[in-house]
Amino acid sequence: MTHLSSQQISNCIIRGATSEEAGHARECKACRAELERLETALTRFRSSVRQWSDSHAGSQIYRVSYGLERGNRTVAGLGSVLIHAGILVTLLVLGSLKPVQLAVRETVSLIAPDLSAYKAQQQIAKGGGGGGGRELLDASKGKLPKVAPKQFTPPRVDAVADPKLPVTPTIVADQPVPNIQSNNYGDPLSKLGMASNGIGSGGGIGLGKGGGIGAGNGPGFGSGSGGGFGGSAYRIGGGVSAPVPIFQPEPEYSEEARKAKWQGSVLLSLIVDEMGKAVNIKVARSLGLGLDEKAIQAVEKWRFKPGMKDGKPVPVIASVEVSFRLL
Amino acid sequence: MSIENVALAGEVHEATAGDFDALVRIHRARVLRFIFASVRDRETAENLTQDCFLRAYKARVGFRGDSSVGTWLMGIAANLVRSHEGSSRLKFWRRALRSDRDGSIDSLAWIPDGQLSPEAIAAAREQVSAIWKVVARLPERQRTVFLLRFVEDMELLEISAVTGMKEGTVKTHLFRALKTVRSAIEENPIEEQR
Repeated sequence: MTHLSSQQISNCIIRGATSEEAGHARECKACRAELERLETALTRFRSSVRQWSDSHAGSQIYRVSYGLERGNRTVAGLGSVLIHAGILVTLLVLGSLKPVQLAVRETVSLIAPDLSAYKAQQQIAKGGGGGGGRELLDASKGKLPKVAPKQFTPPRVDAVADPKLPVTPTIVADQPVPNIQSNNYGDPLSKLGMASNGIGSGGGIGLGKGGGIGAGNGPGFGSGSGGGFGGSAYRIGGGVSAPVPIFQPEPEYSEEARKAKWQGSVLLSLIVDEMGKAVNIKVARSLGLGLDEKAIQAVEKWRFKPGMKDGKPVPVIASVEVSFRLL
Repeated sequence: MSIENVALAGEVHEATAGDFDALVRIHRARVLRFIFASVRDRETAENLTQDCFLRAYKARVGFRGDSSVGTWLMGIAANLVRSHEGSSRLKFWRRALRSDRDGSIDSLAWIPDGQLSPEAIAAAREQVSAIWKVVARLPERQRTVFLLRFVEDMELLEISAVTGMKEGTVKTHLFRALKTVRSAIEENPIEEQR
């Protein structure tokens, strides 16, 4: 008969030996020694635990008497309260100290954001307008029609009798225009006289073209062009975008200036019309020796992306500096 | 002190506070011993024992009496030990306190055997502390089963009632635990000098 296997020995220990195993253990010295060794060790382990428990069995009744050593909950709770109160008091004292408050305040840095891009544009668009009825007399004096953002019908001195679709005449202007009290429409800056729409063309009243009143072009009032009120085209800003040059031929040098080795720059003032052409070119700063004329010739050929207002191209006043440099 | 000598076993659910005191007095050592052997920390063991009896007191009405009071209490204790092991909140502290616990294990390893020579006593103490360390490292179920079988001397059926495992499962766990412990014993052999 073979010796007991390790599993059999374990089984003996766990649930007691079967008769076969017990018989073998009685006969076989090695197996008996093995079993005894294991049992002794386990017995010792058991007695060590039991001994400990016997020595501590009565402890529960006197738990309080152990005090701090056993982790008294009252003491622990009291300690916790004290520690928290201490931290709280320290924080409050620190917070109420003047130098600490000052130090904290000084470190706060406020950064004001740059809002200039979002600010309302203060610049006022200027323009003008004019018209006329191709009559022989100058426009007669009268009140201006109402200001509206869009003109549907130009004003007339003599009201149309029995119109099919009555529409109040308007002019286009952004700001209050000078006006007078009168019964009929007319040019408030004109002389009193016989009723006339003026010698201009295109409807409206005055010398100019287009549906406005005055000497200019367009639906506004005044001697300028485009809408609005005033003596000229729109200015950049106030919702009017700047024209952008898209075709810029170089100016020629005049013969005299080349001989005199004359150089510098000509400043031109001009109006970029709705088509992107430069019109009404004037010399704002002259250079002389024929260069002013060469600059004007060049700029007349220039093409611009016109200035825009409310998504529509409008005539815009612009300045162009043309530089003449000899290499 | 064995489980069977409890006169009030069947009447727990009618027990007054005074009777429960008697029950605590009878079973406390046993429960404490088991819990201490499981968690290896005296303070924790005391607290868990207290919890165990508190739970038992609260649940005494629900005790059906289909097992002995001792088994019932051990079942509560085993559950408490398991939930204590499982609470991850304590893992850090458990790790931090491990060395401390090994110390408390060493203090246990005293063998009351006057017939042995001092060398044999020292060797036996070493062996017992080796077993302690191995038991401490056993998985929770194996350890519980091992302690119930070899420290509390419970039968397999009782153990299965305490742990809620089937008898076969108990045996398997017990077998594995014993294998580990045996290897520890074989590493620390002692010469028998009777």
